[in-house]
Amino acid sequence: MFTHKCVRQHSLLFSLYRSGTRRQSTAAEPLPAGGHLPSIATSSFLRSGRDSAIRTPGIQWADEDASGPTRDIVAGRETRKMNLYQAVRDGLSVALMKDDTAVVFGEDVAFGGVFRCTMGLAEEFGRERVFNTPLTEQGIAGFGIGLAAMGHTAIAEIQFADYIFPAFDQIVNEAAKFRFRSNGQFQAGGLTIRCPSMAVGHGGHYHSQSPEGFFMGAAGIKVVIPRSPIQAKGLLLGSIRDPNPVIFMEPKILYRSTVEQVPIDDYQLPIGRAETLVSGSDLTLLSWGTPLYHCETALHMLATPPESLTPFVPASLRSTKVELIDLRTILPWDVETITESVKRTGRLVIVHEAGRTGGVGTEISSEIQKRCFLKLNAPVKLVTGWDTPVPMQYEKFYMPDSIRILDAIVETLTY
Amino acid sequence: MDESKDGERRDAGAPYPRSPIMLLRVPRPPVLLPSRPIFLRSPRRLVSSLVATAYDNHTTLHPESHSAVTSVLRFFNSVTEDGAQIPMYRVLDGEGKVFEDAEIPEVDETLARKMYENMVQLPIIDNLLYNVQRQGKISFYMTSYGEEAALIGSAAALEPDDEVLGQYRELGVLLYRGFTYDSIMNQVFGTHLDDSNQGKQMPVHFGSRKFHFHTISSPLATQIPQAAGVGYALKRDPIRGGRNCAVVYFGDGAASEGDFHAGMMLASTVPSPTLFFARNNGFAISTPSSEQYHGDGIASRGPGYGVHTLRVDGNDVLAVYAAVKEARRLCLRDGRAVLIEAMTYRVGHHSTSDDSFAYRPRHEVEERKRLDNPISRFRLFLEARGWWDAEEEKALLERLKDDVLKAFRRAEAEPKPELQKMFEEVYGGEEPWTITENRAELKRLLQKYGKVWEPWRSALKDFKGAGKALLEEGPTAK
Repeated sequence: MFTHKCVRQHSLLFSLYRSGTRRQSTAAEPLPAGGHLPSIATSSFLRSGRDSAIRTPGIQWADEDASGPTRDIVAGRETRKMNLYQAVRDGLSVALMKDDTAVVFGEDVAFGGVFRCTMGLAEEFGRERVFNTPLTEQGIAGFGIGLAAMGHTAIAEIQFADYIFPAFDQIVNEAAKFRFRSNGQFQAGGLTIRCPSMAVGHGGHYHSQSPEGFFMGAAGIKVVIPRSPIQAKGLLLGSIRDPNPVIFMEPKILYRSTVEQVPIDDYQLPIGRAETLVSGSDLTLLSWGTPLYHCETALHMLATPPESLTPFVPASLRSTKVELIDLRTILPWDVETITESVKRTGRLVIVHEAGRTGGVGTEISSEIQKRCFLKLNAPVKLVTGWDTPVPMQYEKFYMPDSIRILDAIVETLTY
Repeated sequence: MDESKDGERRDAGAPYPRSPIMLLRVPRPPVLLPSRPIFLRSPRRLVSSLVATAYDNHTTLHPESHSAVTSVLRFFNSVTEDGAQIPMYRVLDGEGKVFEDAEIPEVDETLARKMYENMVQLPIIDNLLYNVQRQGKISFYMTSYGEEAALIGSAAALEPDDEVLGQYRELGVLLYRGFTYDSIMNQVFGTHLDDSNQGKQMPVHFGSRKFHFHTISSPLATQIPQAAGVGYALKRDPIRGGRNCAVVYFGDGAASEGDFHAGMMLASTVPSPTLFFARNNGFAISTPSSEQYHGDGIASRGPGYGVHTLRVDGNDVLAVYAAVKEARRLCLRDGRAVLIEAMTYRVGHHSTSDDSFAYRPRHEVEERKRLDNPISRFRLFLEARGWWDAEEEKALLERLKDDVLKAFRRAEAEPKPELQKMFEEVYGGEEPWTITENRAELKRLLQKYGKVWEPWRSALKDFKGAGKALLEEGPTAK
């Protein structure tokens, strides 16, 4: 068992070191006519300045009195350059500081976590509040439910989302139904389960999965996925303080590759609300987590295709205005924002890493075709992983990368 | 390692820092039979001391092991030194007499009578509800026959605000704490007065915040690791820490679930003041214990988790009482898990959906009832002390039967909750659109078919207000 765990950590940590897989693939191509394609490191979605960071849409400063008039104090707010794991760590630190009942636990979290998300927390808050558990996912989830049932704040970590399945029973049968089955006498709202998810370049079957779709039918829980450091901290604090159990999935390839100026104050971003990253009127592109950056590249390729792709992108489509939306919360998802967008654009492409059948995309597309039937100009298109386990050496051909997204956009626009 | 320094070096895309801590996680060579010097690198251990002892003949290289070294190849398969089974602690013999050398727990007449009355009322409730289930008046029921001593003995030894997490055959614990007959009846009928769950769960899935009894759920053993979390929360509570423990009940069958393993391990390792109470009644539905485990019951597993463990005669209420009192003390003293295995016999069927004579002979059950009845055993003890007599027995039975029947009649006449309760308490805070729309859709369907579709028309009458609130209020389907 020790060996097994070591293997998963060791290879994954090195994969993070080499996480710029997209950069590597684009670097192999000749210099494109339109200049370099955006990569995660150069993404325009990442807020690298203090001013833009503290004006993040929807940001709610937790140190302002919610009942009073909105003061929107931004002067004097400070930010610090953080990558995603540092932002998670910062969020956890705020949660522990503001709430004496909050505890952080899981496998290997005491020394800082295999992804460093809990670095220094045990030293800062003590081993009573930040501690290792034995290697038992069902136990971790159950233990967290017990803490939450007593009104405490339980922040559990499952080392990889791939290993959340032993806790499926505790999450679906217990955490999700805890409030309902006691008619509110007992509830597990204080529970947040963090887990690294999505692909990392070479994680194979069990270090790559995006299991959010499996939880979509578990009424009673929420599922949240951030895309960047600012989002991670704000959505994590929102999840920890949400009165419901939340599964918080952190796209692990973004832990180091995304960097933003993150406000150091206590703030939250709303759970259950999507965010429009790029406004448009011709097609709605919907995704969450890592693939959002592939979407950004695809949009860039649509507007200024590299020479090799020019024949595939009709000139008439190059000025197409695509609206890109980050769903952020998978359950309950923001049906209003997506419906409003698709009613305007008449076209929808959904991108996610998980396999297609039974995935989140099928749920959303069915709801959207119901609500937007008369407005749709093309079938809803899904760009997803294939219906196979995530394959080790084949990952480049498995993932919904920018070329597949570009193709889906072109196909949908020319339908 | 200087972590702050390391933190400064971390930039996006910068090479992954080769922190010594990370490198420590590479697979280790096997450590038990060293053929060459092995240097364990672990941030949690004193490396130098380990290396120094690596060749000491009297220790192993394992960082947590203090095993003596032996040159004798001998396997063991028992937690007792002589290979016998773990003994069962007992105070009263089969005729209610105290063993000569036994220490009688401190139970005065008032407490003893209270325990006895609670034991006696259980089969009265069980008889009534078992029979009315047979008549189809309630959908399901599970009796506690034969386990009265294990339930009441343990309940009496706990503080009333110790947090209890049960499996489903623990109604006795709730009753001992003051749960009323009305509360029982309203839950099994699922009336609008049900304070356990407003008719949302099957019968016998009781729960009460007031009595610190966490709501029962059907999935077996899930409550066990939850109990460890509850214990940990109690330990951290500035007022209740060191004063209350978590208590978790489960059967011998549930102990085969992975969650039992997880819960024992967490409560002993983290650690958490959690009292594990296994009701070993010989059966999990039709599966006898012999097909549930091959070892020495549940108790033999306790030492494997490093947990104080005791096996007790579950039909001896005084022994259970003394055992749980002491277990509770140890739990709070050490702040970690304690395990009790109460040996008893499931006299009743598993549930009303089960006919246990399909897998065990009727005479075996009759024999067990005759030979070792926990209630009559305790009554003999009380009578010998002059604390009870036949007249009191008769009066008590009549009063209890009357009270139970009255509560039953009251609940039987009560309507079910308001229909829209079905959509409530799924989430806390803002209601998700999915549920709002679900309710609106049901409202639309009821408006359309509620009076003409017979199954709905007749079922609606049973609900408080006949679904009127749902039909008239709330959003309308789009």
